[in-house]
Amino acid sequence: MTDLGSALSPIAPELIVAITACVLLVADPLLSRTASRTWLPALTVIGLVAALASQVVLPRTGLFFSGFVNVDAFTNFFRAVFIVLALFGTVVAPAYLFRKRVPAGEYYATVLFSTLGAMTIALATDLITLFVGLELMTIPVYVLAGIQRRDRFANEAALKYFLLGAFSSGLLVYGFAWLFGITGSTRFDEIARSLQTTGLANGPTIIALALITVGLGFKAAVVPFHQWTPDAYEGAPTPATAFMSVAPKAAAFAAILRVLVSGMGPLAVDWSSVFAVLAAVTMTAGNIVALVQTNTKRMLAYSSIAHTGYILAAVAATSAGAAAGAAVLFYVFAYGLMNLGAFACLLYIDLEGTRGATLDELNGFARREPFGALAFAIFLISLTGIPPTVGFVAKFLVIQPVLDAGYAWLAVVLALNAVLAAFYYLRVVVHMFMYDEESGAPLLVSSRLLSFSLGLSALAVLVFGIVPNSLYQWALNAASPILP
Amino acid sequence: MTLDHILTLLLVIPAAGLVPLFVFRADPRAVKQVAIVTTFVELLLSLQMLAQFKVGVADFQLVERADWLPSLGIRYYLGVDGISVLLVPMTTLLTFVSVLYSAGGVIKDRITAFMASFLILEIGMVGVFITLDLFLFYVMFELMLVPMYLIIGIWGGSRRIYSTLKFVIFTLAGSLLMLVGIVAVWLQSGPEGSRTLSLPELLEIRNRFSAEFQFWVFLAFGLAFAIKLPMFPFHTWLPDAHVEAPTAGSIILAGVLLKAGGYGFLRFALPLFPTGTQLWLPLIIVLSVIAILYGAAVSTVQKDLKKLVAYSSVAHMGFVTLGIFVLNTQGAVGAVLQMLNHGFVTGALFLFVGIQYERTHRRVIADLGGLANHWPLYTTFFGIFVLASLGLPGLNGFVGEFLVILGTFQFGGVPLGGLFWGPLAAIGVILAAIYLLWMFSRVMYGPARDHYKGLPDLSPVEVACAVPLLALTVLLGVFPQPAIAIIEPSLDRMLKLATDPTFLVALR
Repeated sequence: MTDLGSALSPIAPELIVAITACVLLVADPLLSRTASRTWLPALTVIGLVAALASQVVLPRTGLFFSGFVNVDAFTNFFRAVFIVLALFGTVVAPAYLFRKRVPAGEYYATVLFSTLGAMTIALATDLITLFVGLELMTIPVYVLAGIQRRDRFANEAALKYFLLGAFSSGLLVYGFAWLFGITGSTRFDEIARSLQTTGLANGPTIIALALITVGLGFKAAVVPFHQWTPDAYEGAPTPATAFMSVAPKAAAFAAILRVLVSGMGPLAVDWSSVFAVLAAVTMTAGNIVALVQTNTKRMLAYSSIAHTGYILAAVAATSAGAAAGAAVLFYVFAYGLMNLGAFACLLYIDLEGTRGATLDELNGFARREPFGALAFAIFLISLTGIPPTVGFVAKFLVIQPVLDAGYAWLAVVLALNAVLAAFYYLRVVVHMFMYDEESGAPLLVSSRLLSFSLGLSALAVLVFGIVPNSLYQWALNAASPILP
Repeated sequence: MTLDHILTLLLVIPAAGLVPLFVFRADPRAVKQVAIVTTFVELLLSLQMLAQFKVGVADFQLVERADWLPSLGIRYYLGVDGISVLLVPMTTLLTFVSVLYSAGGVIKDRITAFMASFLILEIGMVGVFITLDLFLFYVMFELMLVPMYLIIGIWGGSRRIYSTLKFVIFTLAGSLLMLVGIVAVWLQSGPEGSRTLSLPELLEIRNRFSAEFQFWVFLAFGLAFAIKLPMFPFHTWLPDAHVEAPTAGSIILAGVLLKAGGYGFLRFALPLFPTGTQLWLPLIIVLSVIAILYGAAVSTVQKDLKKLVAYSSVAHMGFVTLGIFVLNTQGAVGAVLQMLNHGFVTGALFLFVGIQYERTHRRVIADLGGLANHWPLYTTFFGIFVLASLGLPGLNGFVGEFLVILGTFQFGGVPLGGLFWGPLAAIGVILAAIYLLWMFSRVMYGPARDHYKGLPDLSPVEVACAVPLLALTVLLGVFPQPAIAIIEPSLDRMLKLATDPTFLVALR
């Protein structure tokens, strides 16, 4: 028994999350609708907190399961990020799910399974584990997108997302196959060793690289592989959107770091300039389209594409070393916190279907719900990148490796994009604070849990903006296995 | 009595004031009292700081240093020298005046949020003048942005949304490019692990900045400061923002926020990038003189009283950049004095335009007239500030502009030399006399109008707001020597750094 215990302890967080998800599925039919409103999220939170605690209590690092599981600082960082995001995505949801009659047990279990997949990506040492993790992460998200079965838009969103996602998975796995054919291995370290000697000498390597870039680009919503994003985000129930917009993106970047930066690192000279261009295109396109949106949910969806571009810029700058890796990790964490928070702020507004509030429907929000408006404003200011918020530190940290790697033009593009973004983010603040409520404005529903969790995360956005050192150190440390 | 960590205290007091403000948020009376007391304590503290400042020492004083982001070499680094030490009390005084005036009943809606915005704004404004780490400076520079955005956008006039967005987007465009510049400086400052953004250390190693590097980074910094200042042709946000801002917002915007631009040039751009300065200097001199003449010419034809004062700020700020970039002591001392004087005088002008508007609800000059018949006290105060603004000898406006023009005459650099630009700048002073006196006569004199008859003269609160500004206007006009003695040593040191020929990397 102790042998089994010590053998399983490296993946204790994953096990706990998996068990909790299964328990939820069993508990769901046993509980009444009102009881499940309280107990299912409580169970989820307990499971996630236990998973987080197990990572702290059993800090084991190294290779396990015959080298198939790699627990290092990088793994632990992403585990913690995914768990925190899932926690946040859970606590903002109950009131909304109850109101909209979304099946709660399925919602929480799906979130947990998706989290489990994301965590698997972080501990993968080879292409197969990574692919399994990626699919385990995405398939539940397709379900989340369509969980409001009776809503036409939710159906459309889920189908669109599923078809494009399946297509991209196909491309990705095809790329993996090419890569295996070239290098003779699925393990990242052996792929790196093999590519080290061959370089980008032949056509097949280019094909593998291109397919993998496209496949992972789909998951991270890189322009021009982003078309699924706005519809999927808009059609999903808002708490699911909040979760979808951050966790899969963080996981996609974990995969990009593991596969491209670590496995295909020897080719970085070749792909980094492509990524720099992709980053510039992604942030600019995302921001320009977001600029003309009048629906906040869609606007935030497009803005999340822009943020992919910012993170991608840091990925392109891997030649700057550990600073680039740390910038990616820091940005992913900061983005998760502020973007999930921003989406969750839309939960205050009661609207039919899965629709998000339009700008006009936010008029006078600051008077009607001062606390929610303040939190929303803090998230938006952080997304813009204005100090003293974590979003500003994240932008600073991204600009630094980008300049160091010699992409001065990209740094300037990034700065100008932040100005574009300021325009539409601050327009939301304008509507909340500077216009008066119109007649026929939608009802507001406030829940104490929602306000509490938003307050906590808004506070975190400010605190990490003012004293970012420990978080940065952690990110730097976590990036060291990938980019020493 | 000397206080340790007085600069930190200056940042802490407004933040601490937010706590009781939040506690008493439901009671407008208590909120006003808390805001007034907080800003008054801050004012006293800044005077105490001035008392602790040793006059005649060029280097930074009252320095505080602590690690902030040690892995990146970023520090919490505070200190003042002659250039900044007077700007801090100016800031705290103008904030106090703004809060006092607003508490007098002008702001009725959402008073708690208004006062909270002012306190956060004050942290940023004081912070900009006392930080010596570029990262911290940037944080403070941006911290001023959001509160001012809310102040204009919530409590402003009818076109407030357009104006406030324009203000933010303009400013942000400049400052984000500066952020790229700051990161570039950081990367140049040394090998990994020993990089820094602390000004004194950067000054030691600035010979690492190549001429090309300085050219681009000076542009990045310069754009941010030029937009903030604002320099022609980046000034277009200013009239809109000023016209729509509530009175207190205009006072702070003109009095303090614009100074952050001039101060940024003096503190960071010039000493860090001497070659960059030389490369961009001809353009800035030309733009400054254009700003002086253009600002004056446009002011002359304004129909709106507030817009007139706003455009006059463009001209006055032209004197500041001109004085800074002629790179001699007279010019630079004049520029710093001009910043101070403009803070007091234009702050006061906006206050009086606001007071007048509160009563008459009219800002178009043609609608006004004959006010002197009803408001003797108002006329006296307003008249003195107008005279100070146009540079009447004996009042403070004269000293700064005179020194700047003197410095310009001595300027020997490209293009055309000081004997060409000096007289042109002097024409600006004449134009100022024309538009200000003409405005004053149209607004205050003329036949008494019946519908202004019952309107009261200045209230005690308004007098209390105006008296300290008036006292300083006269004092700095008659007896500017103490101020010059404080400013000059540090400016000399800065100018030596900016013009030291051994550091001027060969111009390409």
